[in-house]
Amino acid sequence: MNLETKIGKITLRNPLILASGVLGSSYSSLNRIYNSGFGAVITKSIGIDERKGNPNPSVFFLHEIKSAINSVGLANPGYKLYREELKILIEKEVPTIVSIFGGNIDEFSEVLEGLDDLPFLCFELNLSCPNTEKEGLAVGTDPQLVYEITKEMQKRTSKPIWVKLTPNITDIFEIAEAAIKGGASALVAINTLKAMIIDIYSKKPILGFKRGGLSGAAIKPIGIRFVYDLFERFGETIPIVGVGGINSGYDVIEYLLAGASAVEVGTAIGIKYPENKTNLFIQQIKKYMHEQKVESISELIGGAHND
Amino acid sequence: MTKYFHNSKPEMCKIIKIMEENEDTRTFSIKLPFTPKKPKPGQFVMLWVPGIDEFPIGVAGIKDQILELCVAKVGEGTKALFELEQGDLVGIRGFFGKAFRIKKSITHIIVGGGYGMPPLKYLIEEIIKGRTEQDEIFVFEGARTKEKLLYVELLEKWKKEKKIDFFPFTDDGSYGKKGFPTEGVKEYLNKDNEKSVVIYSAGPEKMMKILFDICKNYNHIIDIQMSLADRHMRCGFGLCGACVVDPEGLRICVDGPVFSREQLEKMDDFGNYSRLPSGKKEEI
Ligand SMILES: Cc1cc2nc3c(=O)[nH]c(=O)nc-3n(C[C@H](O)[C@H](O)[C@H](O)COP(=O)(O)OP(=O)(O)OC[C@H]3O[C@@H](n4cnc5c(N)ncnc54)[C@H](O)[C@@H]3O)c2cc1C
Ligand SMILES: Cc1cc2nc3c(=O)[nH]c(=O)nc-3n(C[C@H](O)[C@H](O)[C@H](O)COP(=O)(O)O)c2cc1C
Ligand code: FES
Repeated sequence: MNLETKIGKITLRNPLILASGVLGSSYSSLNRIYNSGFGAVITKSIGIDERKGNPNPSVFFLHEIKSAINSVGLANPGYKLYREELKILIEKEVPTIVSIFGGNIDEFSEVLEGLDDLPFLCFELNLSCPNTEKEGLAVGTDPQLVYEITKEMQKRTSKPIWVKLTPNITDIFEIAEAAIKGGASALVAINTLKAMIIDIYSKKPILGFKRGGLSGAAIKPIGIRFVYDLFERFGETIPIVGVGGINSGYDVIEYLLAGASAVEVGTAIGIKYPENKTNLFIQQIKKYMHEQKVESISELIGGAHND
Repeated sequence: MTKYFHNSKPEMCKIIKIMEENEDTRTFSIKLPFTPKKPKPGQFVMLWVPGIDEFPIGVAGIKDQILELCVAKVGEGTKALFELEQGDLVGIRGFFGKAFRIKKSITHIIVGGGYGMPPLKYLIEEIIKGRTEQDEIFVFEGARTKEKLLYVELLEKWKKEKKIDFFPFTDDGSYGKKGFPTEGVKEYLNKDNEKSVVIYSAGPEKMMKILFDICKNYNHIIDIQMSLADRHMRCGFGLCGACVVDPEGLRICVDGPVFSREQLEKMDDFGNYSRLPSGKKEEI
């Protein structure tokens, strides 16, 4: 049985990738999660300057729906300082994907060029964070901007460019098409969904930033639908990485069947014993493959489209 | 049936009593909506001041539904808390983190200062409750001046009742001995090295680092447990990564805040570096 998977030119030991923004500020937590058995890890989204992110409360869990709501925003130390974390990850041979963000082409370029000399796997463009007023969402909902940013970034590096899409949009095909035309190597779907929560006693929004994004179990059917739709339309053209609400090895299989070549896991890993969770995921994937007499991950990709 | 505080959004709770400990430290008694599974000493809650801020605060005590939190006013969030009055609402999430592990039939050495004292007070109460003939409790507390020493009356009372031995230290000598509690601990360890000792500590990280470096040289110390609190937190349950310490990738909020000797030995950041909300590493 072989758990290896390919996303374009990149081969991973298994389809599990740590999603951006979860345990991604220090090399040490990224290294820990990789060592727990993941195929690769993604950094917190990195920009030009140091940013402290949004005020607390900025993350909490919603027990009833096994989901999280967050408004961390793009807290990061800036690419110049983050280089130090990356160097250690590379020295430790951790397959690392670097998530970057910016408000326009120049900003994206500065970050990309400031990090490109380091030999990590690839870039993921965060065009889709709902927790900032300027960057992210505005960029990711404008097909022309998505096309231009992807094209310009692709020109500036020999590394693959993955484009992470927002679900907070009416027509994802338009944006996906723009990314493909711009030269993206993979589409990543989805980021968090716009969400909010209000305390009825103090009558105040709970998040310090008031508005936030939903992740975790509640968004899985939405992620599956996006991946299924994208695969149906573009499956022949570009690999897809599925994200959203994965909380078991069986959820991973579901994303693969919908059309994902690999998956990203975020919220499910934010627990006391992430190592146990990773082991469980791998066991469940193997169990399914054994029962279904599947030899390799590639046999599963897009398997739900064979009608 | 035991009811749990689920790791979920803040539970709104009423402040039923506010007690002045000193000029900038107050104890807030907070009524929980039900009697939860009892938190252990060292565990903490995320305390939300509605519309302002949310931050971690250690459990200073609990009796049925009444949770005791002792807070020092240091910045914006805690300042806003100090403006609240009896009857006002705060949000509570928790209980989070690894607690102190109380060993039996040994010498307990408890060393603290500043806002490390509230969880230690709760720890001492719990050790006293479950003590055997062999248990001995030594408490070393340090502060800049007499006014800043927390729980002096209570600790002196316990001393009088022969429940504990208590050694206060102040920088200016205005109460107890002049100097640092770490020196007192060292003196004690050099005098008596027969019985097995466990060190429990909470307070400024620099102080704990000095204490750790002293204590690691004694063979009769069977464990060193220290609670790290000089760290920024967001989620409190291990998701965001704000509180991670290098190089093992341990999270203060779920793998700590109380760490063991083995964990502290490998923790390069301990006493040296913390991370700002941006993730930037900064010398402590
Ligand atoms: C597990 C845990 C348990 C805790 N338990 C308690 C408790 O029981 N009681 C309690 O009072 N507090 C406790 N704290 C600390 C408490 O969370 C902080 O004091 C609180 O977050 C401060 O919030 P603030 O908004 O008032 O201050 P902020 O505005 O966030 O900043 C704190 C102020 O102190 C300054 N400051 C920050 N860090 C340092 C530093 N390392 N050295 C010097 N100055 C600094 C800042 O510049 C600022 O002025 C605990 C922390 C943790 C992680
Ligand atoms: C606390 C938190 C912070 C996040 N930060 C980022 C980020 O900086 N960049 C990004 O592209 N996505 C970010 N995300 C979104 C995740 O990468 C992922 O797309 C989303 O959480 C859905 O996956 P999940 O349900 O497995 O968590 C963040 C999510 C969480 C929960
Ligand atoms: S505060 Fe989020 S991981 Fe510890």
